[in-house]
Amino acid sequence: MAEALVIKGLSKRFGGLRAVQDVSFTVQENETVALIGPNGAGKTTSFHLITGFHRPDSGSVLAFGNEVVGLKPHDVCALGMARTFQVAKPFGAMTVLANVMTGAFLRDRHVAAARAKALEAIDFVGLGAKEQTRAKDLTTIDQRRLEMARALATQPRILLLDEVMAGLNPAEIDQAVALVKKLAASGLTIVIVEHVMRAIMAVARHIVVLDHGQKIAEGAPKEIVENPEVIRAYLGSYVHPPAQGDAHA
Amino acid sequence: MQTSGNMKWLWLVIGAAVMLALPQFVTSSFAIDIFIRILLFSFIGVAWNLMGGYAKQLSLGHAAYFGLGAYTSTIMQVNYGISPWIGMVAGGVVAMLASLPIGWLCFRLRGPYFTIATIATAQVLMLIFLKFRDFAWGAEGTTIPNLGSAPLMMQFEEKSSYYYVVLGLLVVGLWITHLIEKSWIGYYLVAIGEDEDAAEAIGVNAPKVKRDIYMISAFLTALAGTFYTQYIYFIDPATAFSFNVSIEAALVSIVGGIGTLWGPVIGTVLLETTSALLQSWLGSSVGGIQLTVYSLILMAVILWRPTGLIGFATDVYHRYARRKPARA
Repeated sequence: MAEALVIKGLSKRFGGLRAVQDVSFTVQENETVALIGPNGAGKTTSFHLITGFHRPDSGSVLAFGNEVVGLKPHDVCALGMARTFQVAKPFGAMTVLANVMTGAFLRDRHVAAARAKALEAIDFVGLGAKEQTRAKDLTTIDQRRLEMARALATQPRILLLDEVMAGLNPAEIDQAVALVKKLAASGLTIVIVEHVMRAIMAVARHIVVLDHGQKIAEGAPKEIVENPEVIRAYLGSYVHPPAQGDAHA
Repeated sequence: MQTSGNMKWLWLVIGAAVMLALPQFVTSSFAIDIFIRILLFSFIGVAWNLMGGYAKQLSLGHAAYFGLGAYTSTIMQVNYGISPWIGMVAGGVVAMLASLPIGWLCFRLRGPYFTIATIATAQVLMLIFLKFRDFAWGAEGTTIPNLGSAPLMMQFEEKSSYYYVVLGLLVVGLWITHLIEKSWIGYYLVAIGEDEDAAEAIGVNAPKVKRDIYMISAFLTALAGTFYTQYIYFIDPATAFSFNVSIEAALVSIVGGIGTLWGPVIGTVLLETTSALLQSWLGSSVGGIQLTVYSLILMAVILWRPTGLIGFATDVYHRYARRKPARA
């Protein structure tokens, strides 16, 4: 298997806060990797660094062999790496179809072609009946679906999902898990940040655990749940108060 | 779809016929003057709307391009005898080029800071034209030599001819807006206006798209500047770079409905007729009362319908007239 994403020595500080420190991990092609950790561990910051929204202080990010550090987010997307946001960012005034077409225009500027591609992505995520709905009128799970459809329409090879299950009820989480599995089965390489452990165990083959900006463990789900470092990070000696938490939560 | 498409064409043809025939029936020069004002500010609004409406980059500095267009054609005409028709296009190009450094500076800022920066650029340009007298005529400005009937120099004896010129400009502006709205650029503009980060994340090169649309918007606004100077036969920094032009451009679009094809036109018709009517009803009573009433109407529209009149009309239409059937 080829390496889709190789992250080496990624670091970023915001003033005195070391948000991400020397994080390295590799994602194989067609693999689903979960990035987990307590609040403030640096998961979302890592996403920002990988997708060009923040520039890392040091380190490198190779996507299919291309260095993406220093590129703008739209260039990263053009290279085949699409992301969703922790807080969904739909284009509220646009319909679902128009939202997704905007993503599709990256690969084809023709309206008819973009429309066809968008409808395909909308059907894939299960929003088929709501393509004419204004994005601001969607429910939380449908907004997450929309984010995924919009990202899919850019025809990525790597998809980065930032807490797509936050705020969903158990039944919706099952639907979201099924959708992520479907995305993985379609051949996408997926990096997912998630808090819902049930979902992570269901979708991820490989887990990277961050705490205080550092990688503390990495491995198969079974090893991770038994890892004493991970258990301590989540349950024991919870030293930092929540107020100091994730800058991007 | 077919019938609604045909209906649209029917309305367009009727509208075009009425607009073309209007000066033949309305001969009062006062009325023609109001029509010309309406068409001119509709056109400026349309130019502003491309950037301010679709991409929600609220510029209050479009007077910069209006003035550059006016001065470019006037300098070319008065000093070198070049026809304003050529000067108009040259002014557009000057405005486009000026929009590059201005945009480069202002687009670093977002929201209200962007708006303030655009106001400043127009004011700075006005000061430059005020202070440097050998550059163009300083504070006292200049009159355009009256050549009588000289269509090639954009001078006409009939007011109706000016009407047709500005009508042509408006049609060009609307046509360009229509093409942009229906293409990928339109989607990109609205996406940037809604959420720039989300747009970037799906591959939209936001700085480039904003720069390009700013150039088009500046170009069109400059054409209006040339026309206006030719129409009033006079130019000075205070009229060419008037803050009122910037305000009016934004206002007509906001009242009519930003980010819509017809919004600026509808907004201008409403505002200009209201202001003209109030002027004739109340202008002779207590001084300034017509402006007070005008402002109250403006505030009411903005508070009551922030999406503008088009937004209001669309809502009503969707509620009562037709529920769009879902795709089978």
